[in-house]
Amino acid sequence: MAARVTTNQSSINDDSELTTNDPEHQTNVSSKKRLSSSSNMLATSSLISPTGLTSLISFIVLTCAYISGFMSRLFSVIRFESIIHEFDPWFNYRSTAYMTENGFYNFLNWFDELAWYPLGRIVGGTIYPGLMVTSGVIHWFLHMINIPIHIREICVFLAPFFSGLTALATYLFTKELWSRRAGLFAAAFIAIAPGYSSRSVAGSYDNEGIAIFALMFTYFLWIRSVKTGSVFWSSCTALSYFYMVSAWGGYVFIINLIPVHVFVLIVLRRYSLRLYVSYSIFYILGLILSMQIPFVGFQPVRTSEHMLAAGVFALLQAYAFIDYLYTKIPRAADIKQLFFGLIMIVGLIVFAAVVVLTYAGYIAPWSGRFYSLWDTNYAKIHIPIIASVSEHQPTTWTSFFFDLHLLICLFPVGAWFCIKELTDERVFIVLYAVFASYFAGVMIRLMLTLTPCVCVLAAIALSKTLDYYADTETSDMSTSPVVPTNDGDGEDTESDKNNRNLYDKAGKPKPIPGRRGTPGTNPEAEEDTSIVSSNIKTVVVICIAMMLMLFAVHCTWVTSNAYSSPSIVLASYNNDGSRYIIDDFREAYYWLRKNTPERARVMSWWDYGYQIAGMGNRTVLVDNNTWNNSHIALVGKAMSSNETEAYKIMTMLDVDYVLVIFGGMIGYSGDDINKFLWMVRIAEGEHPKDIREQDYFTENGEFRVDRTGSPILLNCLMYKLCYYRFGELQTDFRSPPGFDRTRHVEIGNKNFDLQHVEEAYTTEHWIVRIYKVKKLANRLQAKNALRQVQRRKSIYSTTKKVAGQARKQGVILNKPQIKKGTKVSKRKT
Amino acid sequence: MARLFIFAVGLLLFASAWSSSLNVDGSSKRLLVLLDNLGLRESHSFYFKQLKDRGFDITFKTSDDSSLQIVKYGEYLYDHVIVFAPSTKEFGGRLDADILTQFVDAGGNVLVAGSNTVGDVIREFASECGIEFADDKSAVVDHLNYDLSDDGQHTLIVASPSNLLSSELIVGQAKKNNLPFLFRGTGMSSDPENPLLLDVLTASSTSYTANPDEKTLSEYPATVGKRTLLISVLQARNNARVGFVGSLDFFSNDFFLSAVQPNNGKKSDKSGNQDLAVALTDWLFKQRGVLRSRNIHHYLKSDKSTPRFYTVKNDIVFNVQFDEFVHGKWMPFNGTDVQLEFVRIDPFVRTALTNKGGQLEARFRVPDTYGIFKFVIDYNRVGYSHLYSATQVSVHPLLHTEYERFITSAYPYYISTFSMMAGAFLLSFLVLYHRDDLPKKKAE
Repeated sequence: MAARVTTNQSSINDDSELTTNDPEHQTNVSSKKRLSSSSNMLATSSLISPTGLTSLISFIVLTCAYISGFMSRLFSVIRFESIIHEFDPWFNYRSTAYMTENGFYNFLNWFDELAWYPLGRIVGGTIYPGLMVTSGVIHWFLHMINIPIHIREICVFLAPFFSGLTALATYLFTKELWSRRAGLFAAAFIAIAPGYSSRSVAGSYDNEGIAIFALMFTYFLWIRSVKTGSVFWSSCTALSYFYMVSAWGGYVFIINLIPVHVFVLIVLRRYSLRLYVSYSIFYILGLILSMQIPFVGFQPVRTSEHMLAAGVFALLQAYAFIDYLYTKIPRAADIKQLFFGLIMIVGLIVFAAVVVLTYAGYIAPWSGRFYSLWDTNYAKIHIPIIASVSEHQPTTWTSFFFDLHLLICLFPVGAWFCIKELTDERVFIVLYAVFASYFAGVMIRLMLTLTPCVCVLAAIALSKTLDYYADTETSDMSTSPVVPTNDGDGEDTESDKNNRNLYDKAGKPKPIPGRRGTPGTNPEAEEDTSIVSSNIKTVVVICIAMMLMLFAVHCTWVTSNAYSSPSIVLASYNNDGSRYIIDDFREAYYWLRKNTPERARVMSWWDYGYQIAGMGNRTVLVDNNTWNNSHIALVGKAMSSNETEAYKIMTMLDVDYVLVIFGGMIGYSGDDINKFLWMVRIAEGEHPKDIREQDYFTENGEFRVDRTGSPILLNCLMYKLCYYRFGELQTDFRSPPGFDRTRHVEIGNKNFDLQHVEEAYTTEHWIVRIYKVKKLANRLQAKNALRQVQRRKSIYSTTKKVAGQARKQGVILNKPQIKKGTKVSKRKT
Repeated sequence: MARLFIFAVGLLLFASAWSSSLNVDGSSKRLLVLLDNLGLRESHSFYFKQLKDRGFDITFKTSDDSSLQIVKYGEYLYDHVIVFAPSTKEFGGRLDADILTQFVDAGGNVLVAGSNTVGDVIREFASECGIEFADDKSAVVDHLNYDLSDDGQHTLIVASPSNLLSSELIVGQAKKNNLPFLFRGTGMSSDPENPLLLDVLTASSTSYTANPDEKTLSEYPATVGKRTLLISVLQARNNARVGFVGSLDFFSNDFFLSAVQPNNGKKSDKSGNQDLAVALTDWLFKQRGVLRSRNIHHYLKSDKSTPRFYTVKNDIVFNVQFDEFVHGKWMPFNGTDVQLEFVRIDPFVRTALTNKGGQLEARFRVPDTYGIFKFVIDYNRVGYSHLYSATQVSVHPLLHTEYERFITSAYPYYISTFSMMAGAFLLSFLVLYHRDDLPKKKAE
């Protein structure tokens, strides 16, 4: 039978369902459940203190995980202050503040005039509101119980708060999957794993902060519902999925992974009514609920990303029907092939229907973002705007270790354990591991979705290892392997140290028939126990403990050093170790807020759009919500054209100020010159006639800003805005004036004048430079070069004159002598 | 509403007069005349008398006067300046080309006359305004259109009124009267691409600018044919007006009075110089062709209220009052060619404003596109001051409550929903109450 590979208890369940198929099977299962739980009750009542102790330990461990997860994310608050970090969080914060001020419905209808001038942005329809609603609810609740806290504090501390909840959800998930001990490990891991804390430190007020919790909780509920086959749990899954949809675009991962799980279960012939019930209910409820989010709208029925779920739903119905026929038709076993064929045909029909609908235009094809997941070069060629985002870059191998440390080594082991002892739900975690690893390899940002899976599997691996090695007593007193038994009752989840001893004694004869299905493990384990002495076990346990300690140290170090920088405040260290805060961004935004007209329009690269709107409260042309590529390309074109061309674009877009980020003065590498090639590429995508990337390289194909740089680069607006007056500045005694410390070159074009813009503000370290766009010249000067030179000279002479002698006689050529009484004749030349 | 209106007006003022510290219209008439030779007061007395009659408060100064000053404590002492001092190399006192340019940028109007000798400071100022005078000692020469009283060098040329700009606002009746103009002086050239310059009077196609003393042309003439500008005016973007006349004698009593006898045409008793000079001065010094807009209102057609923002497909009314400065006071403007644009990068609506006694009005429907729009009036006509006004409003999409609630085409879906609910209810009813019988039957 299909369930042969699984352990004892579940195989019984499977058998009963597959064969009986009676309408009472639900009650059957539930009664069984009740039975087992009552037996547990019996056990607990008879042995109150050990069970109580385990619960207490679990409780303490989980509390510690929660607290450490919360605390380890507070570095930035302690080092800097309670501020919102980075880019997207600024928008989230601004919209949350808007929502708390104006109420939910105004937020839903909010038309943001500060963004995307002059297109504007309908915020309510273009965001996942889960984050704002969550903080809004917390804010409302706290105010209701008279805790007058500012919304900013809630926003800052929301992510750490939810990462604690994620630890709990992961605990539940792992407990469901394996055992309570593994669950505790997983909770502890996810609480501090840098891969997750990178997106959830205090102040990082972003969708991911709450979405990972929603993700893990949905998965937990899904596993629960697959295991129980209960309507209740699958409805809960759908609700949790709804929360996930409202919180993060990554919900697509769920709505594809769960169908894949179902599909694989069918292929593995693990179909059961439980699966049918849970998926059908989850899909339909989840579909309806997810369509309630305005941003998602009709996507679940109109786009290819969601078609897998629909297709699997259709397939599952067909399978269930055919399965039903199979049980009803007498001597069905003889025409088994026919049924198999039928199922194949249904599968093909569903697939063909999706393909046809896609071609007919009823279903939108895969979006570019999705393609870039399959072909890592796709975005680079076709959608530079996606490729330009640093978090969309492919992951380097080192960052796997950096973000996950020890866990990445334990991760395959855990996966192997799961494959070896496969159950319905372990299929899920294996699939999760496979997909998440692939995606994490493609896009550094998706490391986030991999992290929980790695934590769970590493916890399983570690727990299974420790089950064996940490248990010196059992190995001393008995030869029978303890570990497999415990793994076997992963479903029961009542296995803990004290209880287990008891259970082992009672069920000692049980493992032998139970092991029958997995002959591979048994002899090995027995060999191991015979070889490994308790001393060695102790050594192993100590080694593991030390590795875990190192892991904790690493996590703390990474979180504190790599992921806790707010990125709007930079810190550098002096020679004596004292910290030096570089606060140029806020300085500039504050300047904008206080010194520019209320409706001033600021042009900058889209990275800074949210910050300008959030901190500077000024209208921006493009921002981090990169929904309109051509508008961004227009800004890119302005930045990469020469001043005259740029001025045309800027007047067309009513730009009042231009803001650029320049790091050459202090060596800040994330500046606009380093991002410049992306601007060129994006502009080239829309305006291939005017902008060519090739023009910005030297003849050797290098991107250089020194004297060898291409003249087009050295005269484009971005270069000029960054390096205006920089040629006069000597940053260092050893270097020539105009030495760029980020690119370590002396700049190629110094001492130029700006024609259409004028410098308005430059921050202390020159990181942010703001220019005012001049109005059109009042007059146009004559173009004759000769006269220009003359004019220059005379300007110098006049300045001298003004300084020196104010009351001087003028000079008139050929001044005629005036003689009284004669009329002045016309001069003759 | 009120705030929006104030903002609109503020924006309008900001847009239309962004550096004007001087008068926009011609109501203030303080005039400084700079002469390089006080005798010009006598030789050009007719012209100055005309100005005086028009109410100008004239101050005469020699251009090398050491007490020369047009700005004092940041305030301009004059509204208009006439520079009849072509041979000035440097102004006296606190005046130079830069200050004169700043005066223009602040909204002041200037009239400059050239002659065969043009001093550096005049050249510099002209070049700031986009005009280049020909080199020293050169003059406009026309061997085919000269006055018979010419001394043989053919520098006293007769400019035909057909080469005059046909804008009544600038040249007055001079074009209609069809009298030829006498001209003796240097030619000017300008960049034909320059959109701010108007060529009021050009020489005929047979003219050129060169040194008439040289018997043979050693090099290419400074200007040739119709590109030889005799009178050119600049209307700067702040509507300051600057006029350049190549000939100082153009304004002289002699030329005003003398009869014109072209070498090849019929004699006319009077030259057109006086008409043109006076009309040109009127225009330059903002006595004519000055517009202003005020009272910009826009509101919903339905209830005449101005909302904080408009919604797509609203019917709205926009109106504005246009005034023209005529004979010293503001009169309603009568032009019917004013257009209103509703712009979001590109104009989505472009419509003519109907004129009812200076009250311009347009009614249109907001396009089905949301965004931040501007009501733009960009009225740029030859002779009138440039009028630009932009009023920003935002156009929002429908609120979630404003969509249609019951759509006819959706009725099948409503029906299917309710029939499904009913069906599910019935089915569950059947299942609940008929299940007991079935096993019994089977058992039997």
